[in-house]
Amino acid sequence: MSTTHNYIQESIELSEALENNSPTAWLSDFRKMQRIKLEGATVPTRTTEHFKYNNLTALNQGGLAKFPESPAVSAELPSLVSSLEGDTIVLIDGRFDSSSSKISGSHLVAFHEANEDQQKTIKDALSRQNFAKNIFNRVNAGLTHSGWLVEFNKSVDYRPLHIVHITTQAAVDSVINEQLIVKLNSMAEATVIEHFVSDNNIKSGKTISHQSAHFDIGDAANLQHYRLHLEHSAHIHFGQCTFWLNRDSQLNSFHLATGGIIKRIDLDVIHQSNGSHAEINGVYLAADKQQVDYHTNVEHRTPHCTTQEVFRGLIGGEAKAVFNGRIHIYPDAQKTLAELSNKNLLLSNKAEIDTKPELEIYADDVRCAHGATISQMDSTAMFYLTSRGIPKEKAKLMLSFGFVNELINNINNDAIVDYLQPLLTQFFKQTVTE
Amino acid sequence: MLNIKNLHAAVEDKTILKGLNLEIKPGEVHAIMGPNGAGKSTLGNVLAGREGYERTNGEVLFNEKDIFEMDPEERAAEGMFLAFQYPVEIPGVSNLEFLKASLDAIRKYNNQPELDAVSFMKMARETCKAVNLDQSFLKRGVNEGFSGGEKKRNEIMQMMLLQPKLCILDETDSGLDIDALQVVAKGVNDLRDSNRSFVVVTHYQRLLDYIVPDYVHVLADGKIVKSGGKELAHELEDKGYGWLDNNEVA
Amino acid sequence: MSEVINERIGKEYKAGFITEVDSETMPPGLNEDVVRAISAKKGEPEWMLEWRLKAFNIWKNMKEPEWAHVHYPKIDFEAISYFSAPKSMADKPKSLDEVDPQLLETYEKLGIPLHEQEILAGVAVDAVFDSVSVATTFRAKLEEAGVIFCPISEAVHKHPELVKKYLGTVVPVNDNFYAALNCAVFSDGSFVYIPKGVRCPMELSTYFRINEAKTGQFERTLIVAEEGSHVSYLEGCTAPMRDENQLHAAVVELVALDNAEIKYSTVQNWYPGDEEGKGGIYNFVTKRGVCHTNAKISWTQVETGSAVTWKYPSCVLKGDNSIGEFYSVALTNNYQQADTGTKMIHLGKNTKSTIIAKGISAGKSQSSYRGLVRMSPMAEGARNFTQCDSLLIGDKCGAHTFPYIESKNPSAIVEHEATTSKVSDDQMFLCQQRGIDPEKAVSMIVNGFCKEVFKELPMEFAVEAGKLLEVSLEGSVG
Repeated sequence: MSTTHNYIQESIELSEALENNSPTAWLSDFRKMQRIKLEGATVPTRTTEHFKYNNLTALNQGGLAKFPESPAVSAELPSLVSSLEGDTIVLIDGRFDSSSSKISGSHLVAFHEANEDQQKTIKDALSRQNFAKNIFNRVNAGLTHSGWLVEFNKSVDYRPLHIVHITTQAAVDSVINEQLIVKLNSMAEATVIEHFVSDNNIKSGKTISHQSAHFDIGDAANLQHYRLHLEHSAHIHFGQCTFWLNRDSQLNSFHLATGGIIKRIDLDVIHQSNGSHAEINGVYLAADKQQVDYHTNVEHRTPHCTTQEVFRGLIGGEAKAVFNGRIHIYPDAQKTLAELSNKNLLLSNKAEIDTKPELEIYADDVRCAHGATISQMDSTAMFYLTSRGIPKEKAKLMLSFGFVNELINNINNDAIVDYLQPLLTQFFKQTVTE
Repeated sequence: MLNIKNLHAAVEDKTILKGLNLEIKPGEVHAIMGPNGAGKSTLGNVLAGREGYERTNGEVLFNEKDIFEMDPEERAAEGMFLAFQYPVEIPGVSNLEFLKASLDAIRKYNNQPELDAVSFMKMARETCKAVNLDQSFLKRGVNEGFSGGEKKRNEIMQMMLLQPKLCILDETDSGLDIDALQVVAKGVNDLRDSNRSFVVVTHYQRLLDYIVPDYVHVLADGKIVKSGGKELAHELEDKGYGWLDNNEVA
Repeated sequence: MSEVINERIGKEYKAGFITEVDSETMPPGLNEDVVRAISAKKGEPEWMLEWRLKAFNIWKNMKEPEWAHVHYPKIDFEAISYFSAPKSMADKPKSLDEVDPQLLETYEKLGIPLHEQEILAGVAVDAVFDSVSVATTFRAKLEEAGVIFCPISEAVHKHPELVKKYLGTVVPVNDNFYAALNCAVFSDGSFVYIPKGVRCPMELSTYFRINEAKTGQFERTLIVAEEGSHVSYLEGCTAPMRDENQLHAAVVELVALDNAEIKYSTVQNWYPGDEEGKGGIYNFVTKRGVCHTNAKISWTQVETGSAVTWKYPSCVLKGDNSIGEFYSVALTNNYQQADTGTKMIHLGKNTKSTIIAKGISAGKSQSSYRGLVRMSPMAEGARNFTQCDSLLIGDKCGAHTFPYIESKNPSAIVEHEATTSKVSDDQMFLCQQRGIDPEKAVSMIVNGFCKEVFKELPMEFAVEAGKLLEVSLEGSVG
C-alpha cells in the first residue's frame, strides 16, 4: 500500500459533491446529517467488535470513492430475468435501464419522481434504520441519491418484483449506492427478489457497492423475499436489510452470497407487534481468497412472535466466512419462540470460519435455542458413498448439495431454484477439486 | 371418599365444567367417558389443583375436607394421585430422587417416619419390575427422553409406590399399544382394594375391558349426562357419542 | 406459578460477618512507591520488585475493558488500599499455635477448621486473609510426597527458581488491565508444585477471605504439575457484608506438563451485595492454564457470589492430545451481574475440549456466558463440544450467550449448542401433585439443571455447592 486513504472521509467529500446537482435535493438535509455524524470516522479495524473478523484493507487503497463516470448503456442480463414471471427493475451500474426493465402498475416509484407524501415515507424509512452497528449504513445514507419506493396493497395479485443490480466494467474503481424501500400495507402479499450480479465481461478491477433495503410489513401482510449476491470475486459490497414486522405479519427471507473481496450483509429483523413470524434462511459460499460475512440481528420486542433462522456455509480455498447471529428478546416479549442454526463446512486447509451465535434474553417464558457447528465433510458418509462405487468427487458434490438442500428445497419458486442449481454445482465442483 | 357437588370450573375464563355431581365411595372404580372437549381432563386437573383451572362454583370434599382449601401438595399428601395425560419431563432430576422426595413429603405429612434408603431402593426396584420398566429408568431424569408408553408406565409406577387413596387416571390409555395397556391395567388392578378408589378418565371403552369399572359416567358439555354400570361403556362403543346427543342431551 | 417463584426473593449470606482484628492497612492509592512498599513488606528479592514495577508501568498505560455485559460505576483506583494484613501476622507465626485465635475462629465460622485433627481428612488448606496467608495445613505430609504447597510469598524466597521459571508465563504481564494490576500489587496466594510422576496424596485447597474495608484483594496462584503428575485443587472465597463495593482481581496460572493433570475447582461465594444491589465484590479474575502433550486441565466453578463477575478460566491446549474442560454453574440473584465463560485455544493435534456452562438468573440479575473456541491451523483432528444452558427464574432477569467460534482447520470439529428455559409451571405442578412443596421443587429442578457440573466437583464440595445454591435461591419461591 503506497498511501493510506480513508474511504469514509472520501465518501464525505463525494456526498458533498452530490449537493451541487442533485435531483433529490429534498434529501439534502438527511445527507448532511450523515456527513456530520461521519466526521473524523475511519474504516473499522479488528478492534471494532462488529468488524472483528473482517479484513477491510482494500478500502484504504483509495480510488473507490467516486461515482461511475459513464454507466454502461447495456449489459448481459442474468438468465433469471427471462425465466422469472414478473416485474423487473434493471439497474446497470446504479442507473435505471428502462429498455430491459418491465414495470406494470404504479406501485413502483423512483426516488427522483416521488411526490411529497412519498418523499416523507422515504425519509422516515431511511432515518429509522440502525446506524450504530455498521458504519457503512451511514456511508450509504450519506451518499443516497437514487432508489426505489415500492408499495403493495391488499387484495392485489402482484407479480413477483425482480430487482437486478448489474455492475459492469464501467463501474470499476467506483462506488454504487442504492436504496430500496418496500411497504406492504395491511394484508398485502408480495414477492421481492433482490439480485446482485457482475457483468460477465468485466476484465479486471474492483467495484464497491452499498445497498440498503427497508421492508415495512404491515398487519397480517406476507412478504416472500430473496436476496442473491452473485457478484464476481473482485466485488466489495456492504448491504443492509431491515425488516419491520407488524401484527400477525409473515416474512420468509432467503439469502445467498458468494464471496468477494468482502461482502458484508447485515440483516435486522424486528418483531414490533404480536403474532408475527419470520423465517430467515441463508447460504454462503466462499472460495479462493474471498470473504463473506452475514450479521443477522433478530429483535423480539413483543410477545407471541416466532423466528426460525438457518444459515449454512461452505468455505474452501483460502477464503474466510463470518457469521454473527444475534437473537434479542426484550423484557415484554413473553411466549417468544426463536431458533437459530448455523452449520459450516470447511473444505480446505487454509479456509477459515468465524461464527458467533448470540442470545440476549430478558424475558423468562420463552423458548430460545441456537446451535453452531464447524466441521469438514463427514468422512463416514464419504466412505459409505465411495464404497457403493460412487467416485470421490461425485460423492463430495452429493454431500455438498446434501448440506444445503434443506434450504434450497424450501424455496417455493422453481425459476429461482433452477437458476441457483448450476451456480451451486459450479461452486461445489470448484471447491471439491481443489 | 370423594364428594363432588355442582362443580363449575373455568379455564382462562371459559367455563368447562357446568355443574358436575359425583360421589365416590371407598373401593369403587368409576369410569368417566365422553367426547373430546367434554371437560374430562379439566376434572382431573381441577381436583388435583393445577394452576389456571379455577373452581367457579360448587364444592368438592375429599376425606370430608374441602379440597379448595388445600395446595396441590397437601391434596397429594391426603392421598390424591393424578396420573398425567402428558407426563412432564424434568431434566437432570432422577426418577429415584424425585420418588424419594415425594414419598418422604407424603410420609412426613402423615406423621410416618422417613423410609430408610435400603427399604426405599428395594421398594422402588420392585415397583419398577411390576410395570416392566428396566431399573435403569430409576436413575434417568424424570420422564427425560422416555417414550410415550414408558412415561405412562412411569406414572403407574409412581402410583404403586405412593399407595394413594384416590387415583385419578387422566387418559392414561391414550397412545398406548395393547401390551403397555395391559401392564398399566395390571398395575391398577393390583392396587384395587376395599379402601382405594379410582377415577378412570378415558375416551375409549378398550381400557375398561382390562380395568372393569363399577360405574360408568358419560361427561358431555361439562356435566354428567348419563350414568350406569360397565355395560354402558359397550353401548357407547357401539353407538358412538353421537347417540347421546340424539337421545339424552337434546 | 412464576409469581410464586418471584415472590420473596431475598437471600441470606451466611459468611457476611466481620472479624474485629487489628490490621495494618496501607493508605489508599497506587503509585510506584506503593508497589515498592508491598515488595518491601514481603522482603522480596530485587528481581521480584523489578517484575512488579514493569507490570505497574504497563498497567498505567492500559485501559479498563468495557466489552463485558456488565454495568458498574467506574472504579477509583486511588481510593483502594492495596495491602492489608492482621498485625499479628507481622512476625510470621511458626505454627498454628502461634496464629491469632481470632483468625482461626474466622475460618472455623466459615466451616474451615485449620487444626489438622479437625479438618476433613485428605484436604490440605491454605488460608488467605486479606493480603496474607495465615496458615497452611498438612505441609509436612505433603513434603513427604515432594509436593510443595505454600503461600506464594514464601515460594518467592524458598523456590525462586520455580517461581522465576513459571510466573507470568501463562498469563503475561500485559495480558489485560486487571492481570497487569495484579502483577504489580499481588499480595499473596498459593503456590503448588507437584514433582514428576507424583499423584498428590490429598486435595489441596485455598480459602480466600476479604475482611478489611476499602481494600482490594489481589491474590496470585501458581500451580505447576510436572510430567505425569496429578493434582486436584479447590478454592473457596467469602467476604463480609459491606455497603461499598470491593475489588478482587486475582490471577491464577496453571502449568500442566506432559501427561500431567490438574483439576481446579472453585466455589466462589464472595459477598454479592444486598437485595437493593448495594455493596458486594467486583470479581475480575484472570485464570488460565497451559496443557502440554497429553496433559489435561479441568476447570469446575460454582459461582454464586460477587456483585459483578468477570472471569474466563481458559485452557491453552498447546501439546498434542491435550484436553481442556470447563464446567460451570453461575447463579445470579437480586442485582448481581456475571459475565463468565471460558476460552479453549486449540494449538496441538487431536486436542479436545468440553464446555458445559449452566447459567441461572433470578431476581433482577444478568448472567452472560462469553466463550471463545479457537481451532488454529495446526489443530489437526481437534474437537470441541459446547453446551450452554440458561434457566430463568422470574421475568425481571436476563440470560445471555456470546460464544466466539473460530476455526482454521477443516479436520477440527466444533459443536456449540445453547438453550434457554424456565422452571415451567408443568414441572412445578407435577412435583406438587406428588406432594413436594414448591421451595423444595425449585431447588430440585435447579439442582437437576446443574447436575452435569456438580458431578465434576470433589464429593464433599458437590454437597456444599448444592447447599450454597439452595441458600442463594432461598426465598425465590413463595
